[in-house]
Amino acid sequence: MSIQIENICKNYGAFQALKGISLTIESGELIALLGPSGCGKTTLLRSIAGLETPDEGAILLHGEDSTRTNVAQRGIGFVFQHYALFRHMTIFENVAFGLRVQSRAERLSRVQIRERVNELLHLVQLESYARMYPEQLSGGQRQRVALARALAVRPKVLLLDEPFSALDAKVRKDLRNWLRRIHDELHVTTILVTHDQEEALEVADRVVILNAGRMEQVGTPQEIYSHPASPFVYNFLGNVNLFHGRLLADLSPVDPAAQQQAHPAIGFVRPHEFEVSRSAGTDGRTLPATILRLNAAGPMVRLEMTVLDASKPVAVEISHARLRELSLREGDQVYVTPTEIRVFNSTAADDLVDFGAGI
Amino acid sequence: MNAPTLSERITRGALIAAALFSVCLFLVLPLVSVFVQAFAQGWHLYLQAVRSSDVLSALKLTLLVTAMAVPLNVIFGIAASWAITRFDFYGKHILITLIDIPLAVSPVVAGLMYIEVFGRNGWMGPWLDAHNLHIIFAIPGIVLATIFVTFPFVARELIPFMQAQGSDEEEAAVVLGASPLAIFWRITLPNIKWALLYGSILAASRAIGEFGAVSVLSGHIRGRTTTLPLEVEMAYNEYNFTAAFAAASLLTFAAIITLTVKKIIEATSGVHTRAPREKDPA
Repeated sequence: MSIQIENICKNYGAFQALKGISLTIESGELIALLGPSGCGKTTLLRSIAGLETPDEGAILLHGEDSTRTNVAQRGIGFVFQHYALFRHMTIFENVAFGLRVQSRAERLSRVQIRERVNELLHLVQLESYARMYPEQLSGGQRQRVALARALAVRPKVLLLDEPFSALDAKVRKDLRNWLRRIHDELHVTTILVTHDQEEALEVADRVVILNAGRMEQVGTPQEIYSHPASPFVYNFLGNVNLFHGRLLADLSPVDPAAQQQAHPAIGFVRPHEFEVSRSAGTDGRTLPATILRLNAAGPMVRLEMTVLDASKPVAVEISHARLRELSLREGDQVYVTPTEIRVFNSTAADDLVDFGAGI
Repeated sequence: MNAPTLSERITRGALIAAALFSVCLFLVLPLVSVFVQAFAQGWHLYLQAVRSSDVLSALKLTLLVTAMAVPLNVIFGIAASWAITRFDFYGKHILITLIDIPLAVSPVVAGLMYIEVFGRNGWMGPWLDAHNLHIIFAIPGIVLATIFVTFPFVARELIPFMQAQGSDEEEAAVVLGASPLAIFWRITLPNIKWALLYGSILAASRAIGEFGAVSVLSGHIRGRTTTLPLEVEMAYNEYNFTAAFAAASLLTFAAIITLTVKKIIEATSGVHTRAPREKDPA
């Protein structure tokens, strides 16, 4: 089922949670709503579900205006951040709940319900837990039950509200790959709310980045990563160095629009977009730097450097091979050359929130 | 923790001894004396006193009043805590404060308030008289007084419990297509049943033992408007100690039963012994 969101606004008293969001989601797509806490992503998801009523705008489900449609009639499966399993029911009864409360005319027979529940428990690989209670399961298992429960009524849209955020890192990674596989199997239109950029970029077909109730950018994970549309997006995707400066005409690989004027600007360079060498070289962009810290535990070697006289240290990543080649140590004087810089006018960065960029 | 030093052990021992001594002096001894007095004239007289028509009718009335007041409080308690924990509305804090009024006001004052409203010279008195309805010095008055004093018990038990549980499960049920009625019976009620039972037990024990408000409204008509606590007082004032302590012993039995039920609920349900939502192991 396709979803059209048309200019949705929602206020809580004086606080504007959503400031005019418009978005079209194709049938069978997996969309991630990504943003920091308080950006409105959960409010948007709950508005689509019908758990919140937007103050303005419309939500069209499959082309039909459903803004005022009752939650129960929307054909939606919802997965909550804290699972919201019915604690006094077995796993089997949890999954069966949606089937049992259907009106008499639509309701499946007992045998059919049992078959459907078993089929779903098989899908989420929890057949042997059918008789247990939620509190006997781990967090990851509970969230799988919650997903099976949501899928039981064959929803046309699956909405997930930060479903993996309460889980530890490894389980979170396993579950998101598993969610993608399930989605590829069932092709249910799915909206995933998350504040974890890695999760969004890894799982979704398209990512919607929200900031303070507005959409910053919509695109495929590749587009978002390669061409962040605003300083906010660049910063939010994380792990980036931020340079303040004045735009000069000879600064080469830059946004051509910004290049024309020489006024205050900020530049973003990701840690792996630096070349490190022992000699100054001829490139005009090469800068002298001092290695403050060197951490070789991990797939890449992470260096923390002071570049020129910048107060904030700069994060640089190089390969282990390069480290051996240069035999670098903490305290060494080296030269760094940014291979990619993305520059924004300083004015565009006025609303930039500092997420601790640089490290 | 390190092993306690000698002075720590002495302090601890002294505190425990002091606590035990006060418990014995102020709770256990008086309780035992109720039974000693009740049985002072022997088993035979005790049974006779308990079986006397006055005590029996007082017992019946007490149970009747409790059986009416507690269910009404359950309904009110669920409605109030549902409204307070699931919705935001203007005057919510005022409602929460109002629920506590019966705990702050002396029961005698409560009784007088009802006389002021329903009594012969009260606001509604003439109208009630005209329709031949008797509230004051009759059973309805006693029930009203009991409802008043037990008003907060169920709601006060449910509100924090329902707040801690949150509305996630109800929302999940809504999305799955359950009707409001189905949500109440299948999700809300099973989740709050222990807290509800606990609150009801507290309300019941208060209803059985209530003296002040009931005393003002009952009119002390033997065999008709006398509850057990009133019977104790009346028999005592008439120097009928065996009857007074026999009635008192029945009240004490009721207290022991409610305390036991309360303990069982605590042990089996975890109400008041552990947080309703445990931290999720990831």
